Parts: sequence; C-alpha cells; structure tokens
Amino acid sequence: METLGHLAQGFAVALTPINLMWALIGVAVGTAIGVLPGLGPALTIALLLPITTKVDPTAAFILFAGIYYGAMYGGSTTSILLNTPGESATIVTALEGNRMAKRGRAGAALATAAIGSFVAGTIGTIGITFLAGPVVDFALKFGPADYFSLMVLCFVTVSAVLGNSAVRGLTALFIGMFLGMIGVDNQSGQIRFAFGITELYDGINVIIVAVGLFAIGETLWLAAQPKVRDEVLDIKDSIWMSREDWARSWKPWIRGSLIGFPIGAMPAGGAEIPTFFSYSLEKKLSPKPEEFGHGAIEGVAGPEAANNASAAGVLVPMLALGLPTSATAAIMLSAFQSYGINPGPQLLESNPQLVWGLIASLYVGNVMLLVLNLPLVGLWVKMLKIPAPLLYGGILIFATIGSYGISRSVIDLILLYLIGIMGFFMRKFDFPTAPVIIGMILGPMAETNFRQAMTISNGDWSTFLTRPLSASLLALTLILLLGPKLHMFFRNRNPKPDHVPGDA
Amino acid sequence: MLNRRTLLTTSLALGGAAMLPFSRAEAQALQSLQIFVPAAPGGGWDGTGRAIEQVMRAEKIMESFQFEHAPGAGGVVGLPKFMSSKKGQPNAVMVGGMVMVGAIIANKAPLKLTDLPPIARLTGEFEAIVVPAASPFKTMKDLVAAFKADPAKVSWAGGSAGGTDHILAGMIAKAVGVDPKKVAYVAFAGGGPAVAALLGNQVSCGVSGYGEFAEQVKAGKLRVLALSADKRQQGIDAPTLKEEGVDVELFNWRGVFGAPGITKEQQAALIGLFDKLNASAGWKAELAKRDWTGIYLSGDGFGKYIESEVTRITGILKDLGLAS
Amino acid sequence: MTIRPALPELFVGLGVLALAALVGWATAAIPQSTYARISPAAFPWAITAGLAALGALLTIEGLRGGWEHDEGTVLDLPGILWLGTGLAANLLLIDGLSIGETVILPRMGFIIASTILFACTARAFGSRRFLRDLAFGLVLTIVAYIGFDRVLGYQIGSGIIERFL
Repeated sequence: METLGHLAQGFAVALTPINLMWALIGVAVGTAIGVLPGLGPALTIALLLPITTKVDPTAAFILFAGIYYGAMYGGSTTSILLNTPGESATIVTALEGNRMAKRGRAGAALATAAIGSFVAGTIGTIGITFLAGPVVDFALKFGPADYFSLMVLCFVTVSAVLGNSAVRGLTALFIGMFLGMIGVDNQSGQIRFAFGITELYDGINVIIVAVGLFAIGETLWLAAQPKVRDEVLDIKDSIWMSREDWARSWKPWIRGSLIGFPIGAMPAGGAEIPTFFSYSLEKKLSPKPEEFGHGAIEGVAGPEAANNASAAGVLVPMLALGLPTSATAAIMLSAFQSYGINPGPQLLESNPQLVWGLIASLYVGNVMLLVLNLPLVGLWVKMLKIPAPLLYGGILIFATIGSYGISRSVIDLILLYLIGIMGFFMRKFDFPTAPVIIGMILGPMAETNFRQAMTISNGDWSTFLTRPLSASLLALTLILLLGPKLHMFFRNRNPKPDHVPGDA
Repeated sequence: MLNRRTLLTTSLALGGAAMLPFSRAEAQALQSLQIFVPAAPGGGWDGTGRAIEQVMRAEKIMESFQFEHAPGAGGVVGLPKFMSSKKGQPNAVMVGGMVMVGAIIANKAPLKLTDLPPIARLTGEFEAIVVPAASPFKTMKDLVAAFKADPAKVSWAGGSAGGTDHILAGMIAKAVGVDPKKVAYVAFAGGGPAVAALLGNQVSCGVSGYGEFAEQVKAGKLRVLALSADKRQQGIDAPTLKEEGVDVELFNWRGVFGAPGITKEQQAALIGLFDKLNASAGWKAELAKRDWTGIYLSGDGFGKYIESEVTRITGILKDLGLAS
Repeated sequence: MTIRPALPELFVGLGVLALAALVGWATAAIPQSTYARISPAAFPWAITAGLAALGALLTIEGLRGGWEHDEGTVLDLPGILWLGTGLAANLLLIDGLSIGETVILPRMGFIIASTILFACTARAFGSRRFLRDLAFGLVLTIVAYIGFDRVLGYQIGSGIIERFL
C-alpha cells in the first residue's frame, strides 16, 4: 500500500536521533505547560516561533506536535489531583477524576487518563494516516445549521451533569451562558455586557472561570472550614489500576476516541464538545451509573480519550487542506509560512517528507508520552502528601500565573477571585459548578452557529429541518428526549403477566 | 535553541538602563528597541514585530530587542497601556495597523492612533473576493449582478464583524449602490473556519486577505473573482475591483508608532532606523517570503495617511451601523 | 406544621433575580444594528428570561423552607481573613496601584506579591511558621519566574526583584 510506504519513510525521518530528541523535548515541555492552568500549547508554540530561524522545518514541527500532544496529556493531571483543569478540554475530567482522587484513587484515575490518552492518540493518529481524506470531506459537509443542531443535542445530553436539582443546575447553566456572552459579539461587532471595561471586550477566558470555580472556590471553602480541611489531608494511596478498573476503562477509551476524532476534525467542532458527549454516554452505558458524581472511572477514561482523539482530529484539516481550525493549528501554520512553505491542499505532494515525518513523530510522541507519564503517576500522587498549607499556597501561585501571567491584566486576577467567591457560595448552597463551564462553552457556540445559519438561509427557519445532517441530529435529540418516556409508555400498555393490570 | 544568552543580557541591560539617570538612558537610547505588540503572540502584528527583529539583527541595524504583548480587542486594550507605560521612551515602538483604526472607532475608545508620533507604514495585505470552484459566479460582475438583484441571497464569509473583511464587503456594497447594512455577512472566527465554510459550499462568497485563500486557489478549490489591490498582482490570475467596475481599493496595512511625548529628534531617529530596514535586501526577501506587499511610507506622510484612513473607516463603519 | 421560609435560600433566589435584572438592563443597552438577521440581543433576552424564571423558582423554594445544603459548619473566620489578605495583597502589589498619575502602591511584581499570597494562604490553612512559609514561597516564585519568564518567554509580571534575576 502506498500509504504504508510513505509512513515507513516518515518513520525513517522521525526516528533519527536528532528528531527523537526534538520529540522528547516537545512532549516534556508540552506535559509541563499542559499541567499548568491557563498555559496552553497555542501560546507556547507562538513564543517558540523564533526557533524556526534556527532549525529545519521537520525538526520544528516534530517539536511543535510534541508540545501539542503533550499538553493534551498533561492537562488532565491537575484536573484529577487538584480539581484545577489545565486546559478547557480537561474540565470534564475534573468532575469524576477529582472525586476519585478524594477517595484515594488518584493513581488509578491518572493511569486510566494516561493510557486512555495513549489509546486515543494512537487511534487518532491512525485516523490521520489512513482516513484524512474521507474524514475531512465529511467534516466540511457541516454547515452552521448542522453545528447548531449538534449543540442542541449536546445541551440535551449534558443534563447528566445538572446535579441534584434541575432548577439549581439550570441556574448554573444560564449563569455560564451569560458569562460566555460577555465581550464583542463576533457576528455583529457590538459590545455586550462589558460594562465599559476594555479588558472584557475579548470575553472571559473559560480557563479563568474553571480555575476560579474549582480551585479558588475550593481553597476558600477549605480555608473557611478547619474540619473538612483535616479530612482532605487524609488521602489513601493506591497506585495502580485494578482488574476491574481495566475492565471498566477499555470500552470508554475506544468510544471516546471514536467520538473525539471526527468532531475534532470538524472546523467548528472543538475539543470540549466531544468530552461532554463522552461523559454523558458513559454515564448512560455504565453498569454503575450511581457512581457518577462520586468518582466513576468511566467518567475519566471516556472524556480523556475523547479530548486526545480530538487533538489528533484537529490536525486532519490542517494537514489535508492547510486549514487551521484551532488556535494551535493557526500558529503552527504561521510557522510553516516563516519557512516559506505554504500549507495547503498540495502540502502532501510538495513536502511529503515533512508531512509523513510529522505523522510518524505523532506515533513516536504518543509512546514517549506513555513511557514518560506512567512512572510519573507515582510521583504525582505523592504531591497530594504535601501538607495542605503549602499545597494550597502553591495552587494559588499557579492560578496567578495562569490568569495574570498570560494577559498581565489585573482585571483577570480580579475576575478569578470574584468567580472563586461565587464558587464558594455555589458550593455552600449545593449548586453544581460544572454546568457554568458547559454553558459558557456551548452557549456562545450555539448562538454563533444559529445566527450564521439564519443569515445564510435569509431568515428561513426551515434550514434546520431541510438539511439532512441537521435534521438527523434533531431527530436523534428528540429520540433521546422522548425515548425513555415512550419506553415507559409502551411498557405500561403491555404489562408483564406478573403485574396486576391497572397496577401501573 | 533560542538564544537564551542574548535574551538574558538584553533584559539585564534594559533593567539597568531603566535605573540610570534620564540623560544617560537617552544617550544610549537606540542601542536597543522595545517592540510593543498590542495582540497575542502568533498573530499578524506579532509576526510583523518578529520580522522587524529578525531582519534588523541580520542586517546589523539593531542588536537587542525586547518584546511586550498586551492582547485584546483589536489593540484597544494595548493602546492605553503603551501610552502610559512607554511615555517619553525614545526606543519604544508599537506595532499596529488598519484593524486597530477600525477597533478604536467601533469600540468608541477614548484614545486615538493619531495621538502617537507616526514612524512608518511597513506592509500591506490586499484582500481577495473568492467563490467555491462549483459556484455559478464566474466573474465579479456576475457576483455584483446577483448581489444587486437581492443582497439577502448572497452570503459573504469573512472574519469578525467590523474587521477588515467586513469593512471591504461594506465598501463594495456602497460602491455598487447597495445599502451596506443589507450585506448578509457571516462572521467566522478567522480565516480557517471561513475557508472551511467556502470549501463546504456553505456560503456564496468569501472575503479575506489573499494569503488565507492562496493555497486553495492554487489547488483549484476556490476561484478568485477580484483583488482589492491598486494594480494586478504578479502570479495571481485575477483583476482588481476597479477593473471590474467596483471603485474600491483596500490594503490591510501594518506599521509602527512611537511613544507619546518623544521629541522630534527622537522620532526622526526611529524613522531613520526603519528607513534603513526598508532599504535592506533582507527586508525585501522577508516581504517576498511572507507574501506581504511593501508599501513603505514614513513620518508625516504616514501621519496624513492615518488621518485619511480614520475618516474613510469611520464613514464605512457608520454605514455598517457600527459607529455613530 | 407550618413551613417557615429559609432566609439564606431566599437571598440566593433574590440574588438570581437581581442578576436577571442586571442582565436584562445590560441587554437593553446593546445597540441594535439593523443588518443582523438575528439581533445580538436575542440570546441575551432568552438568558434574561431564563434567569428570571429560575430566580423566581428558587425564591419560591426559599419561601417554602429552602433546600438541603451545607449548614451547620462553623466558618473559620481567621482562615477566611488570612486568605482574603493574601489575595488582596497579590492583587494590589503585583501591578501596583495608581489613581491617575499618582502612584499609591508601587509595582512590586510577581515574586513579591505571590510570595505574600503563598505565606498568607499557608497561614489560613493552619501553618504557624510564617517565616518558613515566606522562604518557601520566595523559592517557589523565583523558580517559577525563571522557568516561565526567562526560559519559556511567558511574561508573568516584572517588578522589584525580577529585574535582578
């Protein structure tokens, strides 16, 4: 097969000692910045762009790809250990992962995240190798109307995280949507909810909200209550995944990968949406749904796989068509340009060595990340043994770096603390915090796509029903909404023999 | 690897300079250049700054550089920071451009670009109007005819509302006698998603910097109908808007500005620096590599140009309903 | 048995109603550009309505006795105060504070501001060794500063100590 031949040549490029070294540096730097909230691969690669004047293109892209994959791996670590998501795509991981850590199962959570990332990264890379063409064709079929219907489906499935009370869960969701609307509206150019503060014109970074709600909120909560604080200090230590953990993890890994890869390849798909889908799917399919919310391993395995597979998916339109569909991809493309290489549909023909070397290095990087991360699990778990005064002091320092350090704007720091205080009160009054994040990500995406669709259709609502993709997604949503009720209805109409008729 | 040592010594030297008495700091002012980028690393303004650094170093025009980024709202967040923190500093320049002119007007920012001493306009990127390969529109005239017949049926894909792409769409509408408010403009988050919408046949046409479309055009997936340049461009088989009867010309220009409060001599020294840059062979090579058009204009000429741009862009943003 | 209103929950419900009012007020201020097919205010109005309805439901729940939530825990006031001091110090010192041209607090930079935050947080969590915590914080912030600012090039806030590194 032709592809295999190319891939073999790619490995010949990727496996030279010098390129192996670049991959190793990349994954190490990527893991480090992924661990820290607020510092993402896009900014890191942008800061490293001047390197393009010093090394050859293949080496630079192997380095950048390593950073990208590494950041996706690293993002889950602080989510699990400290309830402080490193990236927006690992916010869902914090939901179950941190509960596992609180129950003394941090080791298993980190391991299922690392192995799941490896499985998903590898499946995703295989997807890039063999399916890039068809996947990109499929992804381009999605127009704004179809994306909107996808968001509707996503909204319906995330009811899984609304918590004990629908009213309080929805309140959190709406607050999140409000936060997401702050800033200059991309579609009309009008400023919304900025209250005259220019720093708010570009909107609030979702990571600031996540770190504020989770990390600052939790720190305030614990500082206020010596009793709870001392309980947290008592963390048991179990390092590895049990046989049951494996049995419960492998299917979510694969399902997560299959959800994440195609959505990542969609130009407006993003990395967060597949994690929401995967989480709700795993909750539905789990033999122990009651564990969700208290540390279910499927809730870590699935979303982690989904976010890593979507990272691979993002590379598909970039390598196949030269289309940057995420911030990181856009910056990688500007690196291509500083070499005078024009990434486009012909990139594969004009620079096969570069592209196949890059793809091969993704396989290599994945293996490196697994080898690097599994031994680190033991070390990370020990971090929880740091005495609470120092641990939480450290968390606040890194939260400062992640918010103030990126923009050097005190406004971001003020926001972080205000949202932290909100997180404290939400905790006090039993409001779930995750829906705030979900609303903040999904709300503006749904709005943008809805308005784009309506502009294109010239105000015709039927566009959501006449487009086949959109209509199928809406039908699926309807089935999910009504399915359980219809099921009940028919069960009640045909009662089983051992039921007394009319008893239902 | 990155040259850490240079970076470190640069910062040390600057840190030291800041503590020296004013006269001595001034005497060694142009030993180093502080480049203030009112955007995030990795964008167009950052790229311009990095290109300046690279060429100036290679051409031995300037040895040491320090970068500072203050991203947000098309430069509206960075501008006041530059004006207050760099006041009177003879070796500080800010990168900026047409996008910032528009952002200042649309966001009703209290500060103006004209408050800064103009140094030089460096580069420009002309825009292109493209359609998917399968589109029924073969020429700009076809597109204009359909657009005039029913503006609602022609959807335009481009970057954020109020940005360069939207401004050009508005200018075209006005030039052909359609109310700019009627443009069915679909804003995408940047060139990539807009191109994706074009390739998927989701929209009628696209308007953005030619560079965003260039590779898809070469691969035959998109067709260029017209360019916003002043004349035909080598290697691009497309007429200008003017040739097609649409009297519009637009460059997304980028340039550099000095800090407020510097003297005429200090401004002249900075202009001299960029004159040298513009004359160098390295800069010409850099422009060619990055597909930028060199539209160098320095000092007062640049100042006058900005004033005319402010008037022109204010007008079109008013027409689009984005300024009052 | 009569149902007594629960005051804290009542305040939460009224708070959400107040937020709805704020969102509605700000939505009314969004300029209407006629060109948009769907107004930029359309979704914000939907959010206003949603928050108002949810706020009303929460208020009713509050009037009917509230809902189960964390009660009874004694707030550790010194803990909160120490943490608040640390956060406020970080906020005020990292960039300095000036009103107009008058500098009220000089710009101290990341290292000093965050070291104080670290020590105050540790104190809030029950540590009694303030000087040791300051030393720990200083080491941590210096290492972080060198790692981020000097090696990776993230600018995380320069001030007094940073310029000697």
